Amino acid sequence: MAVCIAVIAKENYPLYIRSVPTQNELKFHYTVHTSLDVVEEKISAVGKALGDQRELYLGLLYPTEDYKVYGYVTNSKVKFVIVVDSSNTSLRDNEIRSMFRKLHNSFTDVMCNPFHNPGDTIQSKAFDGIVSGMMVQTA
Amino acid sequence: MAQCVQSVQEFVQDSFVPMVAVLCSEEAERVTRKNNLNFAELLRPFCRLTSEGHIRDPNNQLQVVKNLRICVNNLMTSPTTTSTSPSPAQRQLLSDVVLSCQPQESAVTNVVMAGDYELNFSVTTPWFEAYRENFLQSMPASDHEFLNHYLACLLVVSSTEAVPVEQFLKLSQEQHRIQHSGEYTNPKWFIPNTLKYYVLLHDMCEGDEQRADLVYEDMKQRYGSQGCYLLKMNSRTFSANVDEQIPDPWSQYLHKNNLHNQVNIANSSTCTGCFIYSCNNSLDPLQLDSSMANLHNLSAVHADLKKGAKDSNSPACAAGSHGACLTLNDHDYIRQFIQEFTFRGLLPHIEKTIRQLNDQLVSRKGLSRSLFTATKKWFGGGKAPEKSISEPKSTFGLLYPPEAPELQIRKMADLCLLVQHYDLAYSCYHTAKKDFLSDQAMLYAAGALEMAAVSAFLQGGASRPYPAHYMDTAIQTYRDVCKNMVLAERCALLSAEILKSQGKYSDAATLLIKMTSEDSDLRSALLLEQAAHCFINMRNPMVRKFAFHMILSGHRFSKAGQRRHALRCYCQAMQVYKERGWSLAEDHINFTIGRQSFTLRQPEDAVTAFRQILINDSRQTAKQQGAFLREYLYVYKFISPAFSLPQLPLPCIHSSATRVYFGHERRLAEGEKQAATHVSLDQEYDQDLSAMWCHLEEQLVASANGGVVPGNFQPTQCCLNSQTDNLRHPLAVVEEPIIVEVTFRNPLKVSLALSSLSLLWRFTVDGSSSSNEMTEETITNEETSAVGVGNMNKYALRNCDLFSPFRNHIDFLLFTDQQTLDLMVRGKQDLNILGPRLNLTKEDKMSVRHGPDRRLNPIITPPMPLMEVFFLQFPTALLCGEIRKAYVEFCNVSGVALCGLRVVSTHAAFFTFGSQATTPLSPTSAENCSAYKTLATPLQRTSEATESLVSAADFRQPSGVIEIPIDGSILQPGQSTQLPLWLRGPDQEGVHEINFLFYYESAEKGLKISHRVLRHTVFICASRSLSIQASACRSSVPPHHCLDEKGSSGTLVFIDVENINTNEGGVREFHIVQVSSSSQHWRLHKYINPNKDKECKLGSRERAKLCFRAARCKPSEATSKAVKKYTFSDLSLGNEQIISSTTPCGDFFFRSSSRISSVSRSQGSIPTENRSSDLTDIAKECSELDLNIIVIWKAYVVEDNKQLILEGQLHVALQTIGKEASSLTAKEEAQEMVLLKFKSDLPPPVILPSAEFCQLIKTNLHYPETCTHPFVQESLCLVPVTLTLSNCSLAQVDVIIDLRHKSTSPESLEVHSSFAWVGQTQYKLQLKPKEVLCLTLQACFLQAGVYNLNTPRVFAKPSEQSTMCETSQQTATPALIVISDA
Repeated sequence: MAVCIAVIAKENYPLYIRSVPTQNELKFHYTVHTSLDVVEEKISAVGKALGDQRELYLGLLYPTEDYKVYGYVTNSKVKFVIVVDSSNTSLRDNEIRSMFRKLHNSFTDVMCNPFHNPGDTIQSKAFDGIVSGMMVQTA
Repeated sequence: MAQCVQSVQEFVQDSFVPMVAVLCSEEAERVTRKNNLNFAELLRPFCRLTSEGHIRDPNNQLQVVKNLRICVNNLMTSPTTTSTSPSPAQRQLLSDVVLSCQPQESAVTNVVMAGDYELNFSVTTPWFEAYRENFLQSMPASDHEFLNHYLACLLVVSSTEAVPVEQFLKLSQEQHRIQHSGEYTNPKWFIPNTLKYYVLLHDMCEGDEQRADLVYEDMKQRYGSQGCYLLKMNSRTFSANVDEQIPDPWSQYLHKNNLHNQVNIANSSTCTGCFIYSCNNSLDPLQLDSSMANLHNLSAVHADLKKGAKDSNSPACAAGSHGACLTLNDHDYIRQFIQEFTFRGLLPHIEKTIRQLNDQLVSRKGLSRSLFTATKKWFGGGKAPEKSISEPKSTFGLLYPPEAPELQIRKMADLCLLVQHYDLAYSCYHTAKKDFLSDQAMLYAAGALEMAAVSAFLQGGASRPYPAHYMDTAIQTYRDVCKNMVLAERCALLSAEILKSQGKYSDAATLLIKMTSEDSDLRSALLLEQAAHCFINMRNPMVRKFAFHMILSGHRFSKAGQRRHALRCYCQAMQVYKERGWSLAEDHINFTIGRQSFTLRQPEDAVTAFRQILINDSRQTAKQQGAFLREYLYVYKFISPAFSLPQLPLPCIHSSATRVYFGHERRLAEGEKQAATHVSLDQEYDQDLSAMWCHLEEQLVASANGGVVPGNFQPTQCCLNSQTDNLRHPLAVVEEPIIVEVTFRNPLKVSLALSSLSLLWRFTVDGSSSSNEMTEETITNEETSAVGVGNMNKYALRNCDLFSPFRNHIDFLLFTDQQTLDLMVRGKQDLNILGPRLNLTKEDKMSVRHGPDRRLNPIITPPMPLMEVFFLQFPTALLCGEIRKAYVEFCNVSGVALCGLRVVSTHAAFFTFGSQATTPLSPTSAENCSAYKTLATPLQRTSEATESLVSAADFRQPSGVIEIPIDGSILQPGQSTQLPLWLRGPDQEGVHEINFLFYYESAEKGLKISHRVLRHTVFICASRSLSIQASACRSSVPPHHCLDEKGSSGTLVFIDVENINTNEGGVREFHIVQVSSSSQHWRLHKYINPNKDKECKLGSRERAKLCFRAARCKPSEATSKAVKKYTFSDLSLGNEQIISSTTPCGDFFFRSSSRISSVSRSQGSIPTENRSSDLTDIAKECSELDLNIIVIWKAYVVEDNKQLILEGQLHVALQTIGKEASSLTAKEEAQEMVLLKFKSDLPPPVILPSAEFCQLIKTNLHYPETCTHPFVQESLCLVPVTLTLSNCSLAQVDVIIDLRHKSTSPESLEVHSSFAWVGQTQYKLQLKPKEVLCLTLQACFLQAGVYNLNTPRVFAKPSEQSTMCETSQQTATPALIVISDA
């Protein structure tokens, strides 16, 4: 499962970042932030060709020594980034895809909340719960 | 990768140059030393050849050698063997080079725009180039390649030697010994028979030129003209002309050289002892921070000095200027010499060697004469290489002996590369590579691959694509198989540079990042930085990767001790992370920047960085925040100077929540005195309340200005906050304090301790021409010792006694505080208040604009009076209608007299100061606890009323504003005066908030502040007392019964009194003491008491009914309406009479009645306008009563086992006859629940106003109640009956009396037969206003019985009325007569 899940706003500031080993939070922040370059590269490469029929799932952004970083961009250019431990080989592309879909659904729910101010950081408990479900359980 | 000064080709080409050694005799060394240079150094600036050379390849093709550079080095022997990693000395050297090369402060920075990022950084990285150059130069010579092996050796001898030829011989032997004895491994030689070039050095100043020429001729004979040279130099004596400016080409080369020397010296000599290094070597560009580098510097200089001391005749050596004895001609000589050496000596030597090697190879392979044409044929067949058993195996494959044939081809390739014959070089390398690979000689193979790639690149053109994978393989092999990081690094540097030139930034970055490793922080740092530059230079710049790698690089730099570089890296990365929401990363970078800045003695920058961490809403843990804070405070303390106070980032000031209070803080109670509440900081701002106060103040100002509110009226604001109107400068009075309340917020999770807070202010004099600024003067009056700040705290700073008068201006600017957390710092924070956001014009809406906020910029005005108000015996709870006496004290506490004292209240009926005429003299003398003025007990209790006539003007004030009657109407400074104050409990139960606003002004006129006000708010809890309901009905007693009344009709007034007090324990019983009336037309006349003796007492929930007769006032009294005199009549029920027309009673009556009457008037006014002359009006008028009844009571209350007597009065206004009026205002319940009606209301049926007309004429029948008549004697009994008609209205009324009327109702039929009216049975009369008319009628009875005489029908109509709408005036009450038989 994921070790870090992040939601990044269109303007590239974090709406939500959660990582499992909390002492390494900074590292994940850096990782996610750096991955945005790749996300932008991928969007600009694909976006022109296909217009709005773009595949939201961007696939593996880049592998680092310890982690694999996957990306997903909604139509409103909100980015989801999931960082997965490299050692976790059981995760298939399809599973990552479904994680993103789940995340997107939950994110949509958050946005539908009339009390949520778009652009604010996400503080929804429901969203938190969904994310927790996708994270590595550190027993 | 950053941009470089050199082009890529140049760089790669210069990385591999022919190496030439120099061996000098002592004497020659001395000659060159004059110029503060050794021979190799002397040649260095001229080592690049400007002209083209030529070389013939093995195929006799002419090859052009362009722009060749040779490298000349002093021959230095060292036993060190080649290692796979750089030596510590080398590392130190590289580190120093990087350290010394810092970006200039003024260096040009480029702005790179990438997306929405705007980055500012220097595109060039000279430190990296310096590192690279030094790294490549310091590459140790290794066995697997020959590129940096010496090709030739210069033997230098001075012409001043006794026998120069012998010296040459000696040097030649020396060289031979070094190369072939096997003692020294380090200077490696390309081929066994090294080219020896003999140089005779001639000093023009010293030696005999002819002798030199002779020796040179001898040399030519001996070594051939191409193997020797006579170099003439030092044509200038040192002292000749100091001023002559000779360009110094050495300076740009020599510092590196210096370092080489230093390292060597540092290694060899042990520098103990301390050098006092006073002569500042200004040319030395190295001003190093680290003490280690300094030590090197010193030792270098020391060595120089030692050397210099040897040549006593060269005083310039220590000064550091090079080439002092050389003229420009000498420069040319040297240049010529190099050219001669290269073209005549070196290139032919290389050409010869290539030829030899080629021949060897050709003969060895025996296959083809040409390598050019058949390389593929030779080695493509997979021929098994010859392997000798003796070849030692190493971990990374084979080691060849130096003479191994496989190495010969490599040797040849290297030579070709050096002389720019890249084509041949590539094929040789390629061949060698295959050879080595098949031998599994990995190191050799990697070297060949690397160089193959290099030569392929340098070949240029389209002939061969650049084989990038060669480089990759080479790097991988070097690193992973051979574990030789130095070589791997070189390879990576070359490869990255080449990739960069081809625009393959991404590959270059990957390559560079791969080369980072744990063994060398400096290298990792530099390479990461270059990788970062690669990312930003990509076609789509990867800003974030750039930033991230910059951070990594900064981290490695700091680990490598390169603090300045680390700081630079972090700062560059910061540009990307700054203010984009990545707070965790931002904090980390800021923290590092802070630390690095601090260690680099830039504490200001450090403070700024740490500040950022604290200001941002931190997501860090409490522990982390604590660490940040501690670090910040430490640094802060370090820089905070004694004078100017730096800004503190914490705690956050919620500046818009700042409240400013002008004036003293109020003492609320002082003994029994209760001070006016006024305004205090404890109160929250309330929009409605302030509007209410403003309204009250307007009333006051209007009354003070003769009823008009001046145009420039502005309500007084004592306490300014974010909601008040802060557009104007507030006015503050001199010598009165200004209190500023500041709201802090501590955004951290750790607590902050603040202490010794004080306000700073600046004062500007407006009036005088010079603006006098007293900046930064503390005006601490009270020390606020505060404790740990939790989350949000407020501190009021009580401050600023201002002693300077006149129009002044104060800006509060500063605000110091100190934070403690085992570190204590001192600083300030500005108080800048932003006004509300403007939203009026389009521009305002489009952008964010703020209005001014002048809360903190008061204008100081001259002294103003200041009044304090105290209340004595002021109750908090009252019964409804209760009258209580209290005292109020006005106290002028300022030095200025005040006047014009006024008060206004929201509840005008609540209090009175009494009318002037009836005010008792001294409040203290009032021993009687009763609030009323009483008369002595009347001896005999009459039921008659005492009357008094009072003008309303005595009580009424024009508006709600009451002018307070103080003596002389001026309150002198320090004076105080006490006045009685009567209070009356509100008529409605519940808690009432009653607001008083006192107004006063200075006795002087024309001040900036026209008046001042003082607020007071009380809360009165009113509880229920009595409920009084009154109703009036027309008395049926004929007017002549009451003889004292002249012709006016009487009215009965019934008063129902009920005790509705719910507090059974408290109030025992109520006594009705007196009932008074007050009206313009009516008066209470008589108390009709059924049981004469009893006082009217009411226990809990008891009810009593009182009955009074009212009469019209005497006409004389009621004549002139304009005067509006009120008749008060008192009917005492107890044994003392209260004069209701005097102060408390009358005042309250008028106050409450003004409210009632105004209400009734407004209700009645509408119909009168519509049909003023209508008959209803007339009818109404006659039933109008307008009688006000005042019920005065006493309540016996037990409180704390003491019996108290409370007094009070209740008012009832009787408007019309027959209508009930109540003291309790009717509850508006009707409005609460209204049935929904879906059909519109039917219009009320238009009926004749019968009820009203019934009242036009009052009829009375007078007759004997019983009549005994002997029916036996006389069958008819005639009884005279008098019908009295009295006109109640003020109009003429036509009356028709009809006695013949026969009732149609069945019951009247029965009675009818027995009695009849006789005589005239119909009358038509006209009654004048108020006229009473008696008609005598005759009733005739036939038999005994009881009869109802009330059968006459009376019709009346106002005479002016055209429409005859006659109405029966018959009263329903039966008039019974008893006729009995005698």
